[in-house]
Amino acid sequence: MGKYEGNPVWDDVVPIPQDDGEGALAQIAYTDEYAEAMGYLRAIMAAKEYSPRVLDLTEHIISMNAAHYTVWLYRASTLRALNTPIDKELSWMNEVALQNQKNYQIWHHRQILIDQLYPSISSDPAAIQALADSELAFMTQMFDEDSKNYHVWSYRQYLVRKLGLFNSPAELKSVENLLRKDIRNNSAWSHRFFLVFCNPEYSTPDSKATEYDARIPDAIVDRELAFAQAATFEAPQNQSPWNYIRGVLRKGGRKLSSVEQFAGEFVTLPEDDSAEDVKSSHALDFLAEAWSEEGKTEKADHALRLLADKYDRIRKNYWDWRRAPLKEKTSK
Amino acid sequence: MSLVSGPGRAGLSTASLPTELRLSVAAHVKYIQALDNRKDELEYHLTTHLRLNGVYWGLTALHLLGHPDALDRSQVIDFVLQCQGENGGFGAAPGHDPHLLSTVSAVQVLVMCEGLGELEARGKNGGGALGVGRYLAGLQDRKTGTFRGDEWGEEDTRFLYAAMNALSLLGLLHLIDVEKAVAYIVSCANFDGGYGVSPGAESHAGQIFACLAALSIAGRLEVVDQGKLGRWLSERQVERGGLNGRPEKLEDVCYSWWVASSLKMIGKLHWIQGEKLTKFILECQDTEQGGFADRPGDMVDVFHTVFGLAGLSLLGYPGLEEVDAVYCMPRKVIEQVLGPREEIPIE
Repeated sequence: MGKYEGNPVWDDVVPIPQDDGEGALAQIAYTDEYAEAMGYLRAIMAAKEYSPRVLDLTEHIISMNAAHYTVWLYRASTLRALNTPIDKELSWMNEVALQNQKNYQIWHHRQILIDQLYPSISSDPAAIQALADSELAFMTQMFDEDSKNYHVWSYRQYLVRKLGLFNSPAELKSVENLLRKDIRNNSAWSHRFFLVFCNPEYSTPDSKATEYDARIPDAIVDRELAFAQAATFEAPQNQSPWNYIRGVLRKGGRKLSSVEQFAGEFVTLPEDDSAEDVKSSHALDFLAEAWSEEGKTEKADHALRLLADKYDRIRKNYWDWRRAPLKEKTSK
Repeated sequence: MSLVSGPGRAGLSTASLPTELRLSVAAHVKYIQALDNRKDELEYHLTTHLRLNGVYWGLTALHLLGHPDALDRSQVIDFVLQCQGENGGFGAAPGHDPHLLSTVSAVQVLVMCEGLGELEARGKNGGGALGVGRYLAGLQDRKTGTFRGDEWGEEDTRFLYAAMNALSLLGLLHLIDVEKAVAYIVSCANFDGGYGVSPGAESHAGQIFACLAALSIAGRLEVVDQGKLGRWLSERQVERGGLNGRPEKLEDVCYSWWVASSLKMIGKLHWIQGEKLTKFILECQDTEQGGFADRPGDMVDVFHTVFGLAGLSLLGYPGLEEVDAVYCMPRKVIEQVLGPREEIPIE
């Protein structure tokens, strides 16, 4: 006897077994806990029943298999039909998410719930702040397990947009805390870029991440450059802040050569035959582009040659591709 | 198709092999054929929601291995058609709600089995390809160009690619607003040259594959900053030869496909070292019991098996059927349906 069979609460339900199709893919007899619960869920769904016991049943199934998205969807429908308080559901989901790090269905479910909840708090700043705080606390717990969890970061961007958290000091602070723990966390860098350059207070609406935005204040560009530059000194071979610096310069409409002096701190290329000193291949790459911008073709080519032959040989073909247009310039 | 992992572990028996690693074709064929006999394992039932995707992964792997007939054609077609719902979409297994991703797997499997005729004869929602196409087209948000995975509205650049993949195979791309879809992809481009799941989301190799493949199908690759993207993609190769999906993450066999196929689509596969990658992929196979794992020493599964093989095929590993970088299906199957394939030449 299972958990449901013979249970008076479920007496009226005739479970529907899994139909795996015919022939070689035919159904087989299995009687474990999961199969029994799924049989009852199929019956409940066929009858379109939305009742409190559906919440118990789906919770039980999710505890065994959080990846079955139909179960989540049916649970969301039931919650809506019953008008169940959403905060209770959120705190239950926190536990499930912490136990199922790779699961993504749960994040979509969470978005559905927040969308449902939002209209009732949209005119109450204190309620929005409270929700933002509790969600941030939960996400911080998730990041303690895996600070690069893509689903959590995607959800976080959704939440920032939904609740308008671009100017929330806690939001930027939390990203800085994550970077302090792991300066190589590319997800945190990416989120920072989103927070800073999609801020509706001063950015152009729908400005693409790859394009110049004339509305970004100089002070913001300077602040972001300083932040990322400091990070490169901490770990010169960390590609994230180098990419970030390029992105900031692009947003601010500045040339790479405007921070040439900074990149030069990592690279010494003597004019004579003495050996060069390169503390970061990313700096060398950066300088090559800056020099190329300024028309210092030979210097740029020298840097790219060093990358191809010495500092990043695994990508020799890429560096040679970068050299090709320089050769054209010198031959003209 | 069962998604049960194991029984083998990758790379444990390679110590006895000569330095020149070889692909264990027979073991992999047997491994895939045996997947469906493992219904007594709990994991089989925990992965029901991916069953139809699993059939696509297994069948594609068999095609690439040169054994397209290793699964019974009529059984496969019967199973696929049993997964179709009244609205024309396919669920992951019989009785499951239709979802965009399983619908695309269904179309891909039917195309590989030359089973579109059976779909015409036995399909639902008005029958045939058009019934499926209408379901897929109905998932597009006409305002944003994106696709929902199902009636619940979760959006993802993967869905956009998947829908365009299936609709183009069915010759029904005109049912959707391709220009809007392209504009949405453009809005997902990031400052580092990559693409994420939505505008502003971190660059991720899997999403890059989806965006590039969708743009390839739309014939709009020119909207990509190919040099900058190729640079980001080539940075995914780690010292050991494998590829990761994001900076500072571990290498994984499935990225042999997402990254390498993306590079191939923009004519820059030579920006990574093919020999090193080939060696890494081969180290991830279980040479005796078959199958590939994400990394040497881990449990094998059918997902990593197909993407390992597709990666090897892309790199020109001898004896494998050539894979199409956009569809992750045998190139000759795609050419039968769509005609000769154009490629961006290597610069």
